[in-house]
Amino acid sequence: MPGSKAKPMKTRLSNLLTGNQSRQGLWFLPMLIAAAIAFFLSIRTTQFLAPENLFNLVAQAMPLVITAIGQMFVVVVGGLDLSVGSVISFTTAVLALGAPDYITIPAVFALAALVGMTNGFVVTRLNVHPIIATLAMQYILLGITRLMRPVSGGTVPDIVIRSVSGSIFGIPMPVLWGIIVILLAWKLLHGSRFGLHLFAIGGGIAAGTEDAARNFGVSDKRKIMLAYVACSCFAALAGVFLAGRIVSGDPNVGLLFELDAITAVAIGGTQLSGGVGSLHGTVIGALVLALLSNGMNLTNVSPFIQTAIKGSILLLVVGLQSRKKMGL
Amino acid sequence: MAALLNRPLAQRIVGIPPAYYVFAALLFVLWIARPNMLNVNVMGVFIRQVAPLGVLVLGQLLVMKVKSIDLSGGGIILLVNYFISSGIFAGASLAFFIALALAIGTFIGLFNGLMIAKRRVSAVITTLAVSIILVGFVQFLSSGKPPGDVPSIFGDIYNTKLGPVPTPVIFWFALTLAMAAFLSRTVFGRYVMSVGESAEAAHFSGVPVERTVILAHTLAGFIAGVAALVQTASIAVGSVRVGLDLPILAVAATILGGVVFGRGDGGVWGPFFGVLSFALLFVVMTAFGIGEPGKLIAQGLIILLAAVFYGVRTAKLK
Repeated sequence: MPGSKAKPMKTRLSNLLTGNQSRQGLWFLPMLIAAAIAFFLSIRTTQFLAPENLFNLVAQAMPLVITAIGQMFVVVVGGLDLSVGSVISFTTAVLALGAPDYITIPAVFALAALVGMTNGFVVTRLNVHPIIATLAMQYILLGITRLMRPVSGGTVPDIVIRSVSGSIFGIPMPVLWGIIVILLAWKLLHGSRFGLHLFAIGGGIAAGTEDAARNFGVSDKRKIMLAYVACSCFAALAGVFLAGRIVSGDPNVGLLFELDAITAVAIGGTQLSGGVGSLHGTVIGALVLALLSNGMNLTNVSPFIQTAIKGSILLLVVGLQSRKKMGL
Repeated sequence: MAALLNRPLAQRIVGIPPAYYVFAALLFVLWIARPNMLNVNVMGVFIRQVAPLGVLVLGQLLVMKVKSIDLSGGGIILLVNYFISSGIFAGASLAFFIALALAIGTFIGLFNGLMIAKRRVSAVITTLAVSIILVGFVQFLSSGKPPGDVPSIFGDIYNTKLGPVPTPVIFWFALTLAMAAFLSRTVFGRYVMSVGESAEAAHFSGVPVERTVILAHTLAGFIAGVAALVQTASIAVGSVRVGLDLPILAVAATILGGVVFGRGDGGVWGPFFGVLSFALLFVVMTAFGIGEPGKLIAQGLIILLAAVFYGVRTAKLK
């Protein structure tokens, strides 16, 4: 590519700090940022380390963690899913329809899979840019959600509410959710052939050789489609969690969630050009955002500066990751 | 299907950006169902509403032609709107506000361009981060409360008409003309085309790729500053939410106009009609009494169909 020069070999430490040469991307620096915020809060405030606050932190972070993990599947193959926010709102609206839980709960995942499949189909088979395809889906799904439920209301099935509150064997339910989701995502991304193929496909796309993975026998289009399905299903999972927390259906609960999810993924060191990223990075990225909002509440800092700090961290972390390719 | 698409006539027909079809179809629907709405006064009011979007689209199409994207326009509009309506520059002249808006836009565009072309940072993330920072900055300055009134001179200019046509519409049209001439008659316009086709080929042909991308983003920022002025003039009272959905709508209108990340077939007039289609869609939906959800669904379907239409075509060309 124009302008790229051969760089001298760097030390391992500087590689760790900048994420250069790493398939996992820049996750170390975000971890330091998260640790620094947590350390700062624990000495500045007495409430931060209190069990109730840590519980709140996990419960508040969980929808973002789940959505960001889903988003990562798509980002790794060089895509982007702007429809996850609408999927979340849609899920809460379906759950609050008043139908029996053994119908609505499987239904939300089936519908989310359908949304993901449509996104994936349009992107891979009809050759539409992911930003455009998922943006259109965002509008359509938001419209349907608002038709179903113009304002928030209704009640979600009892089992959904019980699944996010209280605790089992002394483990609070949100923490349990986190453990299960992370284990599931780890299995899919780092412990299966599917995940390996996603990284291979994304690496090829980032290097400008889109056929690379296919030439090695990976059925790339089907795998990319499945990545979109996974993304939508994780978003639906976040929607179920949120529905349990707010106990009703809300057409606006997922608004702009996609931007937060992308922010978390990017802060966690996953590159939007594809092929580079890690699950722990994404979780750390979501935690940084959650710690920021939690810390601002505890230290009574104006909540309005929080947005600016969030943007600055995003710009800083992403600015450190130089790529060869110019563009999206 | 494939054989049919390879016919010269079929090629010609699919070569027309979808915006023209959508515009013609909506006009036809309106002509059949509500012919009384098709007069200059009614249409002028609706088209005036999309003038800020129309101006912003001119910048968006420029960066999308060089395979980039700019999502920071919303932040620029919000910041300019805040500066004008909050009264921190109380008593300043119109010229001062115009210079301020253009300077803010240009500076932010230049920053975007440097980050994207020199640092090679993802364009989506950079411009998204810049927008988040600007929105946060305005929220911080205003503590989330709506600022104040926009100086009345803005509204006075906005409400003038040249004959039957509102001034903002003429301004938008003139700016589009200028952009079309700029892209077709200058060396920079050629550079934009060649970078969009292939950055690598452009580089080896001696096109300053980085400089072209930086300049495209700087111009897009400048245009966002102009759009911010038009948007501010269109509302009498300042707001902390104004213009936030405009960048993504601008992307949608640009795609509808046939400019899809590097494929610049739609020129400048495709996106122009893309914006007009959105205005007309709004008229049609209002005329039939369809609410906001229906508008969202229709908008999404139109974007999707237009993009599919284009995607299938580019796949055949490969």
